Amino acid sequence: MLEFLQQAITGLMIGSLYSLVAAGIVLVYKSTHVVSLAHGQLVAFGALFFWFFFGSFGWPLWASLIPAFILTAAIGLLIERLALRPLIGQPLFAAFLMTFAVFITLEGIFVLYLKGETRALPAFLPEGNIALGGLSVPVNQMVSFLVAVLLFIALSLVFKFTKVGLGMRATAEDHRLAQGTGITVRKIFSYVWVLSGLVATVAGIAIAGVMDIYYMLPYIGINGLIVAICGGLDSLSGAFVVGLLLGVVENVGAGYLDPLVGGGVKDVVSYIVLLMVLLVRPYGLFGLTRIERI
Amino acid sequence: MLRLNNIEVIYSDVILVLKGVSLDVTEGAIVALLGGNGAGKSTTLKGISGLLHTELGEVTDGNIQFEGVRIERKSPEEIVRMGIVQIMEGRPLFEQLTVDENIKVGAYTRSDSGAIKADAESVYAYFPTLARMRNRISGYLSGGERQMLVMGRGLMARPKIMLLDEPSLGLSPALVKEIFRIIKLINDDRKTSMLLVEQNAFVALSISEYAYVMENGRIVLDGPSEKLRENEDIKEFYLGLSQVGKRKSYREVKHYKRRKRWLA
Repeated sequence: MLEFLQQAITGLMIGSLYSLVAAGIVLVYKSTHVVSLAHGQLVAFGALFFWFFFGSFGWPLWASLIPAFILTAAIGLLIERLALRPLIGQPLFAAFLMTFAVFITLEGIFVLYLKGETRALPAFLPEGNIALGGLSVPVNQMVSFLVAVLLFIALSLVFKFTKVGLGMRATAEDHRLAQGTGITVRKIFSYVWVLSGLVATVAGIAIAGVMDIYYMLPYIGINGLIVAICGGLDSLSGAFVVGLLLGVVENVGAGYLDPLVGGGVKDVVSYIVLLMVLLVRPYGLFGLTRIERI
Repeated sequence: MLRLNNIEVIYSDVILVLKGVSLDVTEGAIVALLGGNGAGKSTTLKGISGLLHTELGEVTDGNIQFEGVRIERKSPEEIVRMGIVQIMEGRPLFEQLTVDENIKVGAYTRSDSGAIKADAESVYAYFPTLARMRNRISGYLSGGERQMLVMGRGLMARPKIMLLDEPSLGLSPALVKEIFRIIKLINDDRKTSMLLVEQNAFVALSISEYAYVMENGRIVLDGPSEKLRENEDIKEFYLGLSQVGKRKSYREVKHYKRRKRWLA
């Protein structure tokens, strides 16, 4: 039992990283109805920029955060300007494919720069473990878990209570109607991509705290996408809960099944979960139900 | 206040929809725009509100002036800011938002939060039905409630002129009466001009001061509404009355010989 709980709690901490990645995808979908495949790249670049200033130039922590956020947000804005703005008013599928093109391009740049090497960040979060009963939780994982919680609360508040948040939700439903109501859809798009760049940086830094930066890092975006889809794509709380859940399932599954099948369970489990969720609830566990008038 | 000078609209560079439409809406007036399906009424409204740009349509000739400023090249959101709000056909709502949020979105161009609150209350005063459903998800509203909500949302932008596209579509006669009563009320209270596109010529002519009749992308007839109500062609083709003023019997439809006088 104790072993199970330990596995679960470690899974919870890893899951919070998935939630952080999914947050950006949900953010973009919830405000523009574009499914962004490129988010994993933003996360990876966020981590890389942070490494430049913190790991390579040796700037203090707070001073490295600022340029990392600014640069990643700039990439977000650039994606919006160059790739997505020309597609406003066009079918959403075109925008979706465009994010795929962006995915490939950014991935190319990322690999071109990194080659096969890895970049490890020096530890920047407090070390040590917190003991909870018989369980132990590393402090650095605890910190990123708390960051995830705070970020989700902040994003939910923005969507629910601010004017821009309302404009974003309106834009997601109907670009044309939003324009007819006086919302400048282009502006909403830029806000959203800048915001998603910022959220990606948070995720990137949190992830770089527990694993090295290497060429596979952008693919965390796929896990994020799975979480976002299972959660319902437009539900922040869905992304949060499912992210944690997936972390737990992966970790517990790997812990118990890996010895039996010889490893690799972790990589498969998330897809099995996705498949099952989509079979039972095609619009995700927490998604808005489609309103059909009969 | 709003003046269209001989505008021509082309969709996708090839389809000529409006062939020189001119019309005039004076301050505080209700003006009706009548015509059959495909006459170009909605296109005219979209041309004014700028929504044409989102449908690959373009004003290729003539101009549209609002309070002396040319607006045919402006974006929809700029036009809303100037005080022109189109209430689109089919009553599109932000269905996942609540009634109250839909009302709030209507004031997106404004930033005077105190006045916005007061305006929301006055909208609920016009539409007491909506006041009872503030927190309901708007996608579940009925047709009449949707019409009230889109009009309420439009009012929140404090328009100087509202472009109403078929507000009576698919509503029961009692609801149509109610909606038009409120349109008239808003017009009286706030001096908001209205450009009203309607299939229901009877109601439209009874509420408006001036009316235009469109056919095939052209204005074929215009005049004060009470005059048009007496016009033989209008009676025949839009009000369903025969020359003697009685309802036409369907038995006689076969022997129908009368031609519209404007089709030379």
